[in-house]
Amino acid sequence: MLEAFLNSTISMATPILLAAIGELIVEESGIINIGIEGAMLSGAFFALSAAYFSGSTALGLAAGIAAGLAVNAILALLIVNLAVNQVVAGTALDIFAVGITGVFYRRLFGITGKAFIVTTIPKLSFGPLTHIPIVGPVLFRHDPLVYFAFALVPTVGFVLWRTRYGLGLRAAGERPEAADALGLDVYRLRWQALLAAGILTGLAGAYLTLVYAGTFVENISAGRGYVALAVVILGRWRPWGLAAASVLFGAAMALQFGLQALGTAIPYQLFLALPYALTLVVLAAMGGQAASPSALGEPYRRA
Amino acid sequence: MLLAKNITKRFGQTLALDCVDFEAHRGEIHALVGENGAGKTTLMNIIAGRLRPDDGEASLDDAALPSGSALAALKAGIAAVNQSPMLFERMTWEENLALGGFETDRFDLAAVSARARNLAEHLGFKLPPPGSTIEERSMAERVRLEVLRALSFGPRVLILDEPTGVLAPSELTSFLDLLRRLRGEGRIIVLITHKLREALAVADRITVLREGSVVARTTPAETSESELARTMIGELPPLSLATPVFAGAAAVLSIEDVSLERGGHRWLDGVSLSLRSGEIAGIAGVDGNGQTELVEILAGARRADSGEIRLLQGADNAALAVIPENRDLVGLILEMTLWENVILARPLRERTTRHGWLDRSRAVELCGELLNRFRIRAPGPEATASALSGGNRQRLEVARAVAAAPKVIVAHNICRGLDLAGTADVHRTLADFAAAGGAVLLISSDLDELLETCGRLFVISRGRVRETRDGERDAEKLGMLMAGDWS
Amino acid sequence: MLNSFARAATALLLAAAIIAGVLLALGASPIGVFAALAEGAFGSWYALTDTIVRATPLIFTGLAISVSFSGALWNIGADGQLVAGAIAAGAIGPYLGGWPRPIAILILLIAGAAGGAIWGGICGWLRARRDTNEVISTIMMNFVATQLLSWGVHGPLIEASGAYPASTPIADSARMYAFFPPTRLNLGIGIAVALAVGCYLLLFKTSVGFEVRAMGRNRRAATFFGIPIARLTIGILALSGALAGVGGAVQVSAITHRLYEKLSPGWGFEGIAVALVARLNPLGIVASALLFGALDNGSQAMQRSQGVSAVLVQVIQALVIMILLAFDTRVFAGLRSRIAPATPTMRPAAGAPSDA
Repeated sequence: MLEAFLNSTISMATPILLAAIGELIVEESGIINIGIEGAMLSGAFFALSAAYFSGSTALGLAAGIAAGLAVNAILALLIVNLAVNQVVAGTALDIFAVGITGVFYRRLFGITGKAFIVTTIPKLSFGPLTHIPIVGPVLFRHDPLVYFAFALVPTVGFVLWRTRYGLGLRAAGERPEAADALGLDVYRLRWQALLAAGILTGLAGAYLTLVYAGTFVENISAGRGYVALAVVILGRWRPWGLAAASVLFGAAMALQFGLQALGTAIPYQLFLALPYALTLVVLAAMGGQAASPSALGEPYRRA
Repeated sequence: MLLAKNITKRFGQTLALDCVDFEAHRGEIHALVGENGAGKTTLMNIIAGRLRPDDGEASLDDAALPSGSALAALKAGIAAVNQSPMLFERMTWEENLALGGFETDRFDLAAVSARARNLAEHLGFKLPPPGSTIEERSMAERVRLEVLRALSFGPRVLILDEPTGVLAPSELTSFLDLLRRLRGEGRIIVLITHKLREALAVADRITVLREGSVVARTTPAETSESELARTMIGELPPLSLATPVFAGAAAVLSIEDVSLERGGHRWLDGVSLSLRSGEIAGIAGVDGNGQTELVEILAGARRADSGEIRLLQGADNAALAVIPENRDLVGLILEMTLWENVILARPLRERTTRHGWLDRSRAVELCGELLNRFRIRAPGPEATASALSGGNRQRLEVARAVAAAPKVIVAHNICRGLDLAGTADVHRTLADFAAAGGAVLLISSDLDELLETCGRLFVISRGRVRETRDGERDAEKLGMLMAGDWS
Repeated sequence: MLNSFARAATALLLAAAIIAGVLLALGASPIGVFAALAEGAFGSWYALTDTIVRATPLIFTGLAISVSFSGALWNIGADGQLVAGAIAAGAIGPYLGGWPRPIAILILLIAGAAGGAIWGGICGWLRARRDTNEVISTIMMNFVATQLLSWGVHGPLIEASGAYPASTPIADSARMYAFFPPTRLNLGIGIAVALAVGCYLLLFKTSVGFEVRAMGRNRRAATFFGIPIARLTIGILALSGALAGVGGAVQVSAITHRLYEKLSPGWGFEGIAVALVARLNPLGIVASALLFGALDNGSQAMQRSQGVSAVLVQVIQALVIMILLAFDTRVFAGLRSRIAPATPTMRPAAGAPSDA
């Protein structure tokens, strides 16, 4: 029982973590991206569509990544090159994604809802390791994406804080004018950050449909993109903090189903609301955003 | 040899540089002086590759300098240090330097630190403790770090734009020594400054710019401070204001034992002083010793941890007008119209509001009056604040402060960035205000300004304020006090 | 005025062009779709009145957005605030039977305002006192509101028979005055327009409105001049929420007469597009809302006749926002999207005195 819950926690945490890592990279470059939700939803839908029509999961993943890239590319054009208000731009892309995926979904599968199911990506097998009590099922019975996501945590940390590239990226987020004067191409760095995040967020979306649900429902992302934003703040812009915060929300989401299954008199809506309310409470409790990059959210136009 | 020929640059309608020729030799400190807006910074930005000239070209040792790319200019051997240090506040100083020319094959902060240490020793200054962020460093340290970073590129030309503005007098001498040492290495040092005394002290040659053209080329031996000043503005400098009036009147502002602590640092430590009506008093200090915090507390934008600020003689809150240091980011809202900026001041807003309803026509009228009375050059009250030049923005701020009919005006670094005429104008306005019975508190890092205008003089250092005694009114002694030497 | 109109028109034309491309990709006919949209929006007397009806909630959310964005507070939660207001109205509505009609309606609207004000005010308080990013908090409250509504109509508020997830209908006396039956035209539009005028006066003709706009353009300067940022933050978000909440109450009073799930098809987000097209000007929002109401209305017909999901309007909304953002930088000039800390940042420390 506990094992199922913990296992579920890790897998629910994964898409959030992937998106949050992408957002960390973007925020370190100085941009606040509200459009994570849009990229995730697009990734989810197009991954599933591609997998369904082609029969290939690999193609599905590729399509999911491509969708994430496309959404973030539009964002990059608006935010980096045109230096528009970042919050509104992100929100626009969220609305856009809901619309586009909705239109395509209904067009492709009719309002009657023909079955739109694919076989999900199987979990990896680690042989005897999975039989270790408690730890076994929790850590060793996951699909490849989960391991990828968690392996990314120290990797991103290394790249951002221990390489010259990361230093340059953070400089762009700290003070773009100064970075520019030093010869760093702020526009290019921010584009790269957004595209990298697009890949990860698209992947996160693909996870939702290809691993978790095996199908698509409208608005399947259900606000996870926004939760990812909160995760970056809660994790204090540090990779392991992000991982911890993601697991926390993964637990809240896993809890939904666990408690529902217990069949108490508590209304199920409470559980559905739990992750969001929790986000709010934890953010309020933690307060302060002093650890964020100094130029976060400020549009930068090259002189 | 650094050579710039025929440089011309326009910004919209304004001709910033008009066929300017400039040259500097190896092993020379060349001072480029002029008023604000004369074009010094523009010229240097062009040479340093940050701006593209409309006409003309620059070359170093007969090789043409690339234009429009800061990086290319760096590679060609031109490094520039800005007026306000362009460092990354939340990063450590090692990381900041790593973004400079201390290139290593692998990313290795320890190596960067070691090389920086070598260079710093060679130049004779200390580095901050390992791993500390720029946020925690003083302004003087930041300037030095930026110079270090610029030097790390091994430039043949080092351009410094007003580097001494934030230095205390004692730090100034060592800084000028540093420049001499660099000159000794065969580099070309271009020093942009409006501080004529410094230029005369350290430069080999001086070029004077006025309104985009070169009006004089000379050496310290051939000229004097007043001569330079005259060349800079084209006429005799305006008479500075009359000797400060000191009425033995009653105190009107009382600051009692104000303290402020944030983030484990004591920004203000038991600050006490009182201001009498009719007097102009000054607080001298190097930036970053608590002045900004004190100003914010006086403006009501920040609360002190302890202590009291009292306005006496039955004055109310409207009696204190504060002019902040950061004109463009705090004193004005550039995207709003002039009349809207004028009513930012609460007393003026109250004057133009009735039962919560804003009387727009009255506000516009009030603004128009101010524009006239203070001779502010602007298209009109409906113009956006961003349309005004720096000097006129400052005039507007002073006008706004005076218009509120306060009993006390507090001004922080009010003449920074203003030319001689503008400075004299502001000082005259303040003197008139004092003569009419108001009290003025000038908080500034400019000793000249303070010595000229103030009666009583205080010094602030590390959050503590002390009144100067009779024998202490000279630059050297004041410099020591500002540096914290209160023995 | 003409300039804004030209700008909006260009944005729409551009959006139309892009949509046409999307439609072709889907194998639908752009001409058919646009024709159906127009027909659905204006093709008959009923269609015309329904366009007005559909515009009404958009005016409320548009106003909510315009008020908060003017203060650089990014309220993305107008949807949740509208729902909160609707819940309050729907809960109290059934009990208003004994009151005279104008009073009953007024009470309903006040309930709506209160519900929305609480919903928004919470986020305002969190921003002012706990420095919580209001973008995230308002979005989270959207989700919470949805669940609250769901719980309400399935549980405590459920109507007598218990067969459907809907609340007890509101008392007849609480129903909004309706005109020209069988159209759905009602006084709600009048209330909306009145509030729009009110918001305009507030933002541009009062001292408080000035403070809000100053705060939006430059927070540091506003703080320096003693503008009470914290208090205004809470007030703006509460007012913003109240506006959306009244919109929810009007919906309940005039159209639905009860609560059920999925009350808002995204009016809160659409409100952003509405507000942007109007360049955050409350008066312009009325016209802008009518435009988007027309689109919403037409989309139903479009879905029926062309087989393209009505959700297409969301794509249109998004495109309009993006295009306007790209071309209309002056609206947001100075409105920092920086999620800044509540207190002005401290200046550099004084280090040790220098050495040789």
